[in-house]
Amino acid sequence: MSALLQYVVNGLVYSAIIVLASIGLSLVYSIRGFANFAHGDTLTVGAYAALITFSGTSALLATSGSANAEGGLAGLLGGPAAFVVALAVGMAVAAVVAIASERLVFSKLDTSSIGLLIASIGVAFVMRAIVQIFFGNIQQAYQLPRSGPLPFFSALGVAVTARDVVVVVATLVLVAALHAILQYTSLGRQMRATSDNRDLARASGIRTSRIVDATWAIGAGLAGAGGVFLGLSLRLEPLMGFNILLVVFAAVILGGIGSVYGAMLGGLVIGVVHEFVPALSSLGIPISAQYANAVAFLIMVVILLVRPQGIMGEAVK
Amino acid sequence: MTNPVTSWYDGLTQAESNVAWTVGVMCVLFVIGVGSGVLNLAYGLYLLALAGMYVLLSLGLNVHWGYAGLINFSVAAFWGLGAYGTALVSARDSPLPFTVDPIVGLFVGLGLAAVVAVIIGVPTLRLRTDYLAIATLGLAEVIRSVFNNQQAWTNGPSGILGLPLFFGNWPVLGDVPRGAPTYFLDVVLVAVFIGVTYWALRRLHLSPWGRTVRTIRADEDLAEALGKDAFRFKMEAFVVGSVVMALAGVFYAHLNLAITPSALDPTQTFYVWIAVILGGSGSNRGAFFGGLVLVIIVEGTRFLGGDLLPAAFPTAAVRLLVIGLLIVGVMYFRQEGILPPQHELVTPGTTDGGGPAGPAAGENGGGRSD
Repeated sequence: MSALLQYVVNGLVYSAIIVLASIGLSLVYSIRGFANFAHGDTLTVGAYAALITFSGTSALLATSGSANAEGGLAGLLGGPAAFVVALAVGMAVAAVVAIASERLVFSKLDTSSIGLLIASIGVAFVMRAIVQIFFGNIQQAYQLPRSGPLPFFSALGVAVTARDVVVVVATLVLVAALHAILQYTSLGRQMRATSDNRDLARASGIRTSRIVDATWAIGAGLAGAGGVFLGLSLRLEPLMGFNILLVVFAAVILGGIGSVYGAMLGGLVIGVVHEFVPALSSLGIPISAQYANAVAFLIMVVILLVRPQGIMGEAVK
Repeated sequence: MTNPVTSWYDGLTQAESNVAWTVGVMCVLFVIGVGSGVLNLAYGLYLLALAGMYVLLSLGLNVHWGYAGLINFSVAAFWGLGAYGTALVSARDSPLPFTVDPIVGLFVGLGLAAVVAVIIGVPTLRLRTDYLAIATLGLAEVIRSVFNNQQAWTNGPSGILGLPLFFGNWPVLGDVPRGAPTYFLDVVLVAVFIGVTYWALRRLHLSPWGRTVRTIRADEDLAEALGKDAFRFKMEAFVVGSVVMALAGVFYAHLNLAITPSALDPTQTFYVWIAVILGGSGSNRGAFFGGLVLVIIVEGTRFLGGDLLPAAFPTAAVRLLVIGLLIVGVMYFRQEGILPPQHELVTPGTTDGGGPAGPAAGENGGGRSD
């Protein structure tokens, strides 16, 4: 039982990262109309930007005497924590990079959605190459001591670290903020209108170019946060974003491409399923943990065949 | 009497003559490099063989994307199926208890790719284009994952070593000394592979089958309305292209004498895509040129290290950067590629000029197929 509960916990943490990445992919698809293969590498850029900010800020805090380097919840969230600054910078840098890619490349191309897709592969390569040139191909990790499982959860028989709590709570906050923006602000209404029908939205006086920028910023900012959390719970490497891109596509397609709430749901399901794959062999299905990604892709293909519009998407041509 | 060489040259478009000059200069530089000893002869021949392999891959992808409009992002997987197919049955270190001649391995590799192409094609070829791209990329990763994790069948991440040379078991050619002579044989072999493939694909392209596939690419509903089973034609194109990719994989396995799952990296797929788009989608000559340019980028960036730059210079990252900029640049400046299909769509002897040099095959001839 506790083993099963542990898979749920791992699944929720992984889901949080996938959800954050999926929203952006789906948002950009709904407003710009193409599958952006550079999305994974945007996430990588955010992760690295946060890492250097984090080491810079924590060094600054250490010299000013207010060092706060415990690995526990306090070390991550307490005080003028370096990590909160790093998260903000990571999200901002990812957003800036994404807007730059739209302004410099995608908006300049007079081509089909397939042309944009192929161009986005080029953009992805450029981003990844720049990360590799600056940081090399080695894996890096946050210089935070591992705190071990939190005692409160250990009593329930599952290992939950402070990092896990931070990832899940921060994701909930970000998702709630996005929901509030989409439902209760005029920006959100304009975004929904633009995604429904861009021409009609423009004709109704919405400045769609501004909406496009906002979409890139929100989508990439959330992906950047996903990258920061991925780096926090695992490690950073230049391929980290590309490696989860297909799982993110699986989540987006499951939820219904173009639908933000679908992306949240799809991310949750795919993330939990992904972490549940090791449990399958104990249930008599002989699939080893190495096939977790493969299982996610197969779910994606099955969904494409059975219900291409996804769980929450509208029917597409 | 007109001079055939000058009349051929006069019939070229501006882009074609530029490419002809570029290829000519490349050949001269290659000969000078080898002659002056700057380029080791064995390595030079190896590069030529590798260029040939990329040309084969580009020709295969051109069948998918250029002819049929199928976005296939599993190039590396089919290439790997060819390579693993031959490695499993012919390598000394294969987990299988027997070894056979690479000729048999060739057919095992091609057969394996054809079977997997059908298995992948049945569910995916009905999908619309961007979904097809994502699905094929996902299935390619599943294939790589199988090669990586099924230790008992594939040796897992360490891959299969100890492949024989393609002519290794032959009476005379097998006794050729290792090094430049065997690489020369590899170049001859790949040239034969390319020649046969190029000829076969041209015949296919100009046949009624080729016209139907081009129609499907341009307007699938129209083709269906004319009574063509679009799915069947797409499947046939998918299998043909995949087999050509597997042929490149078989050749590569016997060129490098080893294959590991890491070689099936999706980046390889994108390399081949840039070759096809750069060359001109739908054009076999373009695919040929794209394959040559690709090997210069992929192998040329290795020379960037050396004396000019610090030892720790990240050549792999620079290669990625160059290819990324190239993709964006082509989409920006010349989406139709450097050598878009023109003469290739015209059946020889049907134009006033009596051949490819005729006016109808010029700038306005043919017409893009998409």
